[in-house]
Amino acid sequence: MKFGGSSLANAAKIRNAARVVERFSPENRIVVVASAMDDTTDRLVELGELARRGESARASKILSRIQKLHTKTAQATSSRKESKELLDRIDRLNKELEKTVQGISHLRELTPRSRDYLLSFGERLSTPILAAAIRSLGLKTQALTGAEAGISSDERFGEANPLAEVSYHEMRRRLDPILARNEIPVVTGFIAATVEGSITTLGRGGSDYTASLLGAALNTNEIWIWTDVDGLMTADPKIVKDARVLAKVSFGEALELSYFGAKMMHPRAMQPAAQRKIPVRIRNSSKPSLEGTLVSSAETPNGGRVVKAVSIIRSVGIVTVSGTGMIGSPGAAAKVFTALGSSNVNVMMISQGSSEATISCVVARKDVDNAVRALQLALLGQGLVDNVVAERDACIIAVVGSGMKGTPGVAARIFGAVARKKINVRIVAQGSSEYNVSFVVSEREGPEAVRVIHDEFQLGRKP
Amino acid sequence: MRIVLIGFGTVGQSLARILTNDRDWLVKNYGFEPQVTAIADSRGSCRDDNGLKLDLALKVKEKYGSVQKYPGNSERKTNTHQIISGTEAEVVIETTPSNFENGEPGLSNIKESLSARRHVVTANKGPLALAMPALLELANHTRMQLRFSATVGAGTPFLNFASKCLPGEKILGIHGILNGTTNYILTRMDEASLSYQKALAEAQEKGYAEKNPDNDVKGLDTAAKIVIIANWVLKRRISINELEITGIQNLGPKRILTAKKSGARIKLMGRLTDSRATVKPEEVPADNPVCVPGNLNAVAFSTEHIGDVTLIGRGAGGEETASAIIRDLVDIRSEYSI
Ligand SMILES: NC(=O)c1ccc[n+]([C@@H]2O[C@H](COP(=O)([O-])OP(=O)(O)OC[C@H]3O[C@@H](n4cnc5c(N)ncnc54)[C@H](OP(=O)(O)O)[C@@H]3O)[C@@H](O)[C@H]2O)c1
Repeated sequence: MKFGGSSLANAAKIRNAARVVERFSPENRIVVVASAMDDTTDRLVELGELARRGESARASKILSRIQKLHTKTAQATSSRKESKELLDRIDRLNKELEKTVQGISHLRELTPRSRDYLLSFGERLSTPILAAAIRSLGLKTQALTGAEAGISSDERFGEANPLAEVSYHEMRRRLDPILARNEIPVVTGFIAATVEGSITTLGRGGSDYTASLLGAALNTNEIWIWTDVDGLMTADPKIVKDARVLAKVSFGEALELSYFGAKMMHPRAMQPAAQRKIPVRIRNSSKPSLEGTLVSSAETPNGGRVVKAVSIIRSVGIVTVSGTGMIGSPGAAAKVFTALGSSNVNVMMISQGSSEATISCVVARKDVDNAVRALQLALLGQGLVDNVVAERDACIIAVVGSGMKGTPGVAARIFGAVARKKINVRIVAQGSSEYNVSFVVSEREGPEAVRVIHDEFQLGRKP
Repeated sequence: MRIVLIGFGTVGQSLARILTNDRDWLVKNYGFEPQVTAIADSRGSCRDDNGLKLDLALKVKEKYGSVQKYPGNSERKTNTHQIISGTEAEVVIETTPSNFENGEPGLSNIKESLSARRHVVTANKGPLALAMPALLELANHTRMQLRFSATVGAGTPFLNFASKCLPGEKILGIHGILNGTTNYILTRMDEASLSYQKALAEAQEKGYAEKNPDNDVKGLDTAAKIVIIANWVLKRRISINELEITGIQNLGPKRILTAKKSGARIKLMGRLTDSRATVKPEEVPADNPVCVPGNLNAVAFSTEHIGDVTLIGRGAGGEETASAIIRDLVDIRSEYSI
């Protein structure tokens, strides 16, 4: 089980996390993965930047805040028996952190390698605290860094790729004996080490990635991700009153939901679990009696309904290029994407008019201006494109469900329902996967579109 | 090419002998001039960055039982970590005993070597049987070669045959006799109607079986080879723990007799199919090409278009195994010009 930063944000939450472990320990053998406390990782990023720029006053303020947070939390979460050793350890780590920051500010340099080293303190500090809190409840634990648990990676500092087979083998070798002694390994999330032993971080997916690797290595029955939501929902409950938690989704559906903004594992993190078919459960750490959402390789029908969820990505814009010169001209689309790609604009959806005279791209709203400029520079005045226009007021609606592929008429139902409410559909995604239909409407009409689709497929009804 | 040799038993010493005797021939034909800069056995090590005198090392080993008595730079304790990272060398050769429980000491030696950016040639099957996917991934990551021709069939090139002589042909399954010791025992039980115990004793007398024959007779050695073939030829990521293994230690004369009456023999077969990997005594028709006698090995590759292709050869022996190691060394030499 993995506890996210929000589930370890303060002493009370850490004590709660320890009780969650205790609650499930009689019937299960458990490996725990800990994220950094709250937003410590962001603070460390900031600290690194300040140190590099030589802003020592501000840096030391953040540094001491991080140090104090962990010392105080350690005092408040461990029993008297545990606290001496724990505080010594936190003290040592705090000193090491301080030295690291000093090193950065002396050199005025923050390499990807030293940055990973700096970031690793978040998990290296939180993990022994959580381990001691669990021990204080009378269980046996052993705190380990990712490297100590056997996770090795390549040298891509900042977003290292695990050497999966090497790691699987090492993790089994190191953790099996600990589990056999009935101890609970408590492992730092997010961090690994190169073959030579330098600390790396796993980047996107972070601690979830660690949990997924551990589950795959040890062939666990399930991987539990403890977080601050009840699970994956049929829709945003702030938009749809009768939205409910989905009991089961498939990895494919979860992938779509995470792309469309659900609070879900990053696809990268999901991969080891999906590959080895280990189910992942998303659960709320403050309501451990709830079962949460089970993500597995099984395609589970939603009580006969082909649609599982409908989500919304707000704050997007549409950039449309048009020109009669584009008709029959091969490579027009390629030029558009090259121009956007080279100015780092991520295209979320595309649509080409059937006349070929227009291409529309949906991009994040913050990228709209950039996109327009890049396209104007690259395409205007060459006889291909006459016009580049932007619309800022848009949102993407994504309808997700694995049953949609083989079922005729789903799209007709979706767009029929939206049309009845006189909502204007601007763009429909091309080449959408078999798990989703997505389209763009104005931002103002977005919530209404979500509600009518939720109603149309009766997603609020229990299956 | 500078070489660290870990393990100086039957195989290690045979290798040293060939490298001494064939030196001029290897230089002339392959431009291959090996220098062994360190040797370790269980009791110590010796080292010379300019190249040890192999004939002297062999004499010292024979006389004192350990290379630790080699004159000059030698150690009374085996610290393989120091030998691997601290010796000038491009290649580490691993010939310590095969351990199928935890792979040690070979597993650590190979990991350490690859991490220290040394190519590895191993005759030791234990580490591969337990962690072949991991070791291949590690070699790939550190861009080093991990070669293991000697582990399957010793001198007989079963592994290279499949990967180099059958490209483009789909291999559907593999089966065969991969352990000479057990094949000798079974042959003697059949030919001379010996009991298992008698046949084993005879094999031990002739030096085919070790004092502790468990790895052979319990099927672990065969299983290890099946794992290596599965990973290398069929790209199947498995380890020895996933195999169903039955040895020959409980085989009675009755079963052998029954088989004989129907024109068949009992053989310890390793078998890889689409979904399974097994090692167990099986009845094989006497006229089947894999049904080889004595201590021979035979492997049949079942292919899509040309049916079964069977390769027969001796599967063990110090000199044969050492020759396979040299094959790997020459390969590495031609790829890296070292
Ligand atoms: N013999 C064959 O026909 C054959 C064929 C294919 C593969 N193999 C494999 O090749 C390997 C070697 O076989 P072998 O017949 O040469 O075995 P061997 O005669 O028993 O030799 C093993 C050698 O390893 C040394 N050794 C043991 N523990 C060690 C340690 N911790 N550190 C350093 N050295 C250590 C031994 O030292 P001491 O000399 O001090 O005892 C000995 O020199 C085995 O893995 C075997 O399975 C053998």
